[in-house]
Amino acid sequence: MRLYFRNIVPGFAVAAVLVLGAGGPAAAQGSLAAAQNKIPTPGQFPAYKAPHTADGKPDFSGIWQAFVTADIDVQDHDAQAGPHPDFMGAYGAWPGGQGIVEGGEIPYKPEALAQKKANAEKRMVVNITSDPHRHDTGDPELKCYNPGVPRANYMPFPFQIIQGTDTVLFSYEFARSVRTIYMNPNDKTIPKDAPADSWMGWSHGHFEGDTLVIDTTGFVPYTWFDRAGDYHSDALHVVERYTQVSPYHIMYEATIEDPNVFTRPWKVTFPLYRRMEKNIQLVDFNCTEFVLDLLYGQYSKRPSK
Amino acid sequence: MTNHVNHRSRALQIVLVAALFAPAYVAGQSSHDANTKTANGSTKSAASTSTKSWTLPRTPDGQPDLHGYWTSESFTPLERPAKYQGREFLTDQEAEAAQKAGLQRGYDRTYDDPVEEPVYDSTTFGLTPALEGFSPNKRTSLIVDPPDGRLPPRTPEALARPKAIGDRDYIEPDGHGSGIVHADTPRDIGMRTTCVSMSGGPPILPGAYNNGLYIMQSSNFVVLQAEYGSELRTIPLDGRPHASANIRQWHGDGRGHWEGDTLVVETTNFRPEATFRNANPKTLKITERFKRVAADQIEYSFTIDDPSTWTKPWTAIVPLHTIKGPLFEYACSESNMDVVNIMAGARATEKEAQKQNKGVSAAPSSKE
Repeated sequence: MRLYFRNIVPGFAVAAVLVLGAGGPAAAQGSLAAAQNKIPTPGQFPAYKAPHTADGKPDFSGIWQAFVTADIDVQDHDAQAGPHPDFMGAYGAWPGGQGIVEGGEIPYKPEALAQKKANAEKRMVVNITSDPHRHDTGDPELKCYNPGVPRANYMPFPFQIIQGTDTVLFSYEFARSVRTIYMNPNDKTIPKDAPADSWMGWSHGHFEGDTLVIDTTGFVPYTWFDRAGDYHSDALHVVERYTQVSPYHIMYEATIEDPNVFTRPWKVTFPLYRRMEKNIQLVDFNCTEFVLDLLYGQYSKRPSK
Repeated sequence: MTNHVNHRSRALQIVLVAALFAPAYVAGQSSHDANTKTANGSTKSAASTSTKSWTLPRTPDGQPDLHGYWTSESFTPLERPAKYQGREFLTDQEAEAAQKAGLQRGYDRTYDDPVEEPVYDSTTFGLTPALEGFSPNKRTSLIVDPPDGRLPPRTPEALARPKAIGDRDYIEPDGHGSGIVHADTPRDIGMRTTCVSMSGGPPILPGAYNNGLYIMQSSNFVVLQAEYGSELRTIPLDGRPHASANIRQWHGDGRGHWEGDTLVVETTNFRPEATFRNANPKTLKITERFKRVAADQIEYSFTIDDPSTWTKPWTAIVPLHTIKGPLFEYACSESNMDVVNIMAGARATEKEAQKQNKGVSAAPSSKE
């Protein structure tokens, strides 16, 4: 397969470009705007109290989706022609967008920044071997691998939250990824630490007021944050905060910590939108089927029909 | 076994499963190897089913609570063997013997392989539920209707139907206990080995290993997560209609409701590539019933109704027993070494054959 090079738009070191942010004072202003029946101001939500489940927990049930372009690049980026514009045309082009990184830029260690750039250059170089070197190059998204955390939450696909008593389950349309969040600290059958590394991590959750807080560790070092090659090591630790700010929105925040790769923890923030189509349901995106030739074509005798 | 070791075993199974492919498992093999352990783990199982008074647990909103970790592990065959013709149940003695024989098969397939090439370590996954103890299934077949415990005849239409892509076997028996591998492209190898779909039901039927099932509930949904492939079925309970016939899901489109304390799930809209037992994806309807009958058991049954495939509907009962959780992520494609090894092996075999045909001295063709 030919190397595929893209112009990587460097993350502009602009000041905070938080698209939206929830907060006390903003909420108060929003409330006023709503009371005055005005057009809402992005980033401001009227005061809101989340619905609760039968056992009194804030209820996050529903199908949600992010509408940022962070899957392309978590930092600010211009629109660009996608892969093979000669035949993909506008179908394959990637939209520009404002980043989701608080402060605008990911605090990479210098050597790690070089690795990110190398990742981006080889994001479409797929060489599936029968050993872990298969993960050396190529964006895991391209290969239909589990996207990891927090990337799964800003893929351009919906996901469903199902809220049980002892667990909260995240079911993602992309690659059929699943996360089980263990909510009962008294359940001694659930190990505190990850029994083994995994793609979607090992997650314990709890409620702080009406905010769902999820602490995830135990990651494999193979997932990326975006197509721009942003990455982490197996020391990744993600703390997510989900807060309902309206009947139709969750404000999402994730703090990303990985001392092997970053000089300090950093944060991403964006809203999740409730999918409101009547009878909305996830429709399988079993992309493994779509990547068989990409992954294994080098071992094929002839092209697949 | 401590929790920690148990979970490590589950992690290990990911590695093991990545190194094998399901259809290669040959049940019923027996071994007289001196290393073979004797299976006696089933003795405590008879006591594990609670006979004490038991109250059906309920979720905070009052639904019967099915939440937890379960296994469909069973040594009872789907169809009734001829030797049990006319008998629905085994005697206690026969049931115990069947359980022991099933465990023994697991040990055999574990210890038949040399230590340096472990293939199936059933003691760490396939047999774990059995070793933890569940009562032997006394039924002579999982099928309970038709009453003879056998599948009803297929319709002429079904007999003429080509095998679904997902059911095709890429290993052609060579008549000498081995097989010829057909792996020109990854699509020849089959849905399961390529990790496209590991099944996950419906229906829920025991396989050689990874029979774990996690059930979780919210007020409006039941989620059934198969350990094998981590594949999910998310079933709405809110009375909504089925998705349109143009939406065809890998596990079908399930809709659930409660009939008394029994969860009833009706599933249609199957995918043509992976329809259960080569049924007709357009006419197949699977109705499953989950009834918690004890602290450690769900009575699970399913009815297969597809008039274009079977001359009448048929029903099976598969007891689900509790196991210790949790289940671990089964990232199948991410660590799928099989496809690379099978295909690279097939290419190497071809190259070898070519060399032999042309004589060893002939330069190998640089162009395929």
